[in-house]
Amino acid sequence: MMQTTDKQENPARSGLVTAPELKRHGFFRNVFSGIKSLLEGMKVTFHYLSHPSTVVTQQYPENRATLKMMERYRALLTMIHDENGLHKCTGCQICHDNCPNASINVITRSNPVSGKKELDRYVWRMDSCTFCNLCVQVCPFGVLKMDGNFEGAVYDRRLFVFTLNQYAGPAAGLLAKVADPEERKKMVEPRDRYSGPVPLNGQELAGVKALKKAESGCCGGSGGCCSDSEELQGSHRSKEMK
Amino acid sequence: MTGITENIWQAKTIAQRATEALPDSVWFALGYMVLGVVGVAAFIAVMGMGLIYAERKIAGHFQCRLGPMRVGWHGIFQTVADTLKLLLKEDVVPAQSDRFLHILAPLFTLLGTILVLAVLPMSPIVHVSDVNIGVVYVGAVSGFGVLGILLGGWSSNNKWSLLGAMRAGAQIISYEISATLALLVVVLFSGTLRLSEIVESQAAGWWIWRAHGVGILAFLLFFVASLAEINRTPFDIPEGESELTAGFHTEYSGMRFAFFFLAEFINMFIVAAMTATLFLGGWMPFHIGDFAGFNAIMDMIPPGLWFTGKTAFLVFLIMWFRWTFPRLRVDQLMRLEWKVLLPIGFVNLIAAAVVVLFNFYFFPVR
Repeated sequence: MMQTTDKQENPARSGLVTAPELKRHGFFRNVFSGIKSLLEGMKVTFHYLSHPSTVVTQQYPENRATLKMMERYRALLTMIHDENGLHKCTGCQICHDNCPNASINVITRSNPVSGKKELDRYVWRMDSCTFCNLCVQVCPFGVLKMDGNFEGAVYDRRLFVFTLNQYAGPAAGLLAKVADPEERKKMVEPRDRYSGPVPLNGQELAGVKALKKAESGCCGGSGGCCSDSEELQGSHRSKEMK
Repeated sequence: MTGITENIWQAKTIAQRATEALPDSVWFALGYMVLGVVGVAAFIAVMGMGLIYAERKIAGHFQCRLGPMRVGWHGIFQTVADTLKLLLKEDVVPAQSDRFLHILAPLFTLLGTILVLAVLPMSPIVHVSDVNIGVVYVGAVSGFGVLGILLGGWSSNNKWSLLGAMRAGAQIISYEISATLALLVVVLFSGTLRLSEIVESQAAGWWIWRAHGVGILAFLLFFVASLAEINRTPFDIPEGESELTAGFHTEYSGMRFAFFFLAEFINMFIVAAMTATLFLGGWMPFHIGDFAGFNAIMDMIPPGLWFTGKTAFLVFLIMWFRWTFPRLRVDQLMRLEWKVLLPIGFVNLIAAAVVVLFNFYFFPVR
């Protein structure tokens, strides 16, 4: 009994072939609706063929200068610096705690003038990062972003670990409250990509421009370590990042 | 109506020229023969590369891509580079395969293609040989294609190859019926099997529009059935990458694979050329009966260009089909042939017979 009702309800399971062209009137309707839907598909593809603007292919190495990545593309982690070169990082370490594979190390210090806790170095390990975007999402101050610059390949794995912030010191908001420019200058200290507690630690490397040490106490490093130049000299890539 | 062609074009095949030259000089006759052979071979090589390049470019733009862009200007030398690569590649023959048949199969497939090219009237003078049973001949020698595919699939000793070959056999044999039924319509209209005479019978107008819809239907039937015969998408189940790796040519590499590939692309040209010859007048310009002024204007375009244009359009149509339509399932494929195309083909043939009997078409020949 059960089977018969099943057959009536579902002809496909009854073992009978129910092709539309076998039914009366169904034959031509089937043929014409088939042709119609095929023509619709052809219309779509012809639109693509006749409109070269629909091409999405990027001629990558050739159009490198003009290539613009998508807004939501996630590549190198970047700390956003405003037009004055100031970031908004307070050194709260929420990103540090939330990073699932410990790719972020936020090193803080107490300010030499005010004695308050502030960011010293924001060290990011690109080699262990999965680009999950969690650090960007948890940051309460909107300090970070995943940049569109996907050219992360380097010739030495030590170059994968680097500092993101360009200066050690209070966040932009706090710094703005300090009226005296001399005072402000004392509060901040420049930081560059490859000096300090990163694997490269200020050493020189073929293909990477001489990295000036900005901190005292690491004179074990080679080449220009104890230069008194205040100017930061990052690698060619760090300049691109700016 | 035949007067039009006689007045303007001296249709002469290369084989005829060779026969005429024979009493004077054997070398002259031999020269024509060599010209025919070398011409067909060169045509296959150049046309193969050109079609592959065109296919890749057109496919790219159909899918919002660019196609080859790196080798030469817009990648025009891409197929040359690919051909060189295929020539230099190692030719692997599987250890457990039937070596003799494995080597023979691609040659069979290419042979069918070459033999058809020899009788195609591409223009009044670019025509190697005119066979008096041309239409039957084309149907017969294109069977070499399926023979090569079956041999290749069998001799590879590979389940995918064998399945693909069996599918190809079933498919090609089925669709040949519909193709022949549609082709018979044109034979009925023109009253001849000779390809050059079929072309000349269209001097008053192409068969596609002269017979009140019967021609259009026959054209569509022939085109669709021929696509299936050459295993072209949407009828490419013998290759069906997602199911059968590469079907009958899974175990082929290097130059032997290139033979299959080349034959496939030249077959595409042949289908387009045959459809153009039978239904769109081959090299015949677009004429309307006795409308002399209009016909004279159309005659200003040389017949070779007419043939090229029609064939190129149909080739484009085939590519358009390929990059738009999804592949049919095996049962759908058989259903389309036996339940849709074949009944329509029979009815169409009977209708064509009635049309011919009562001289009911425009500008009757007889």
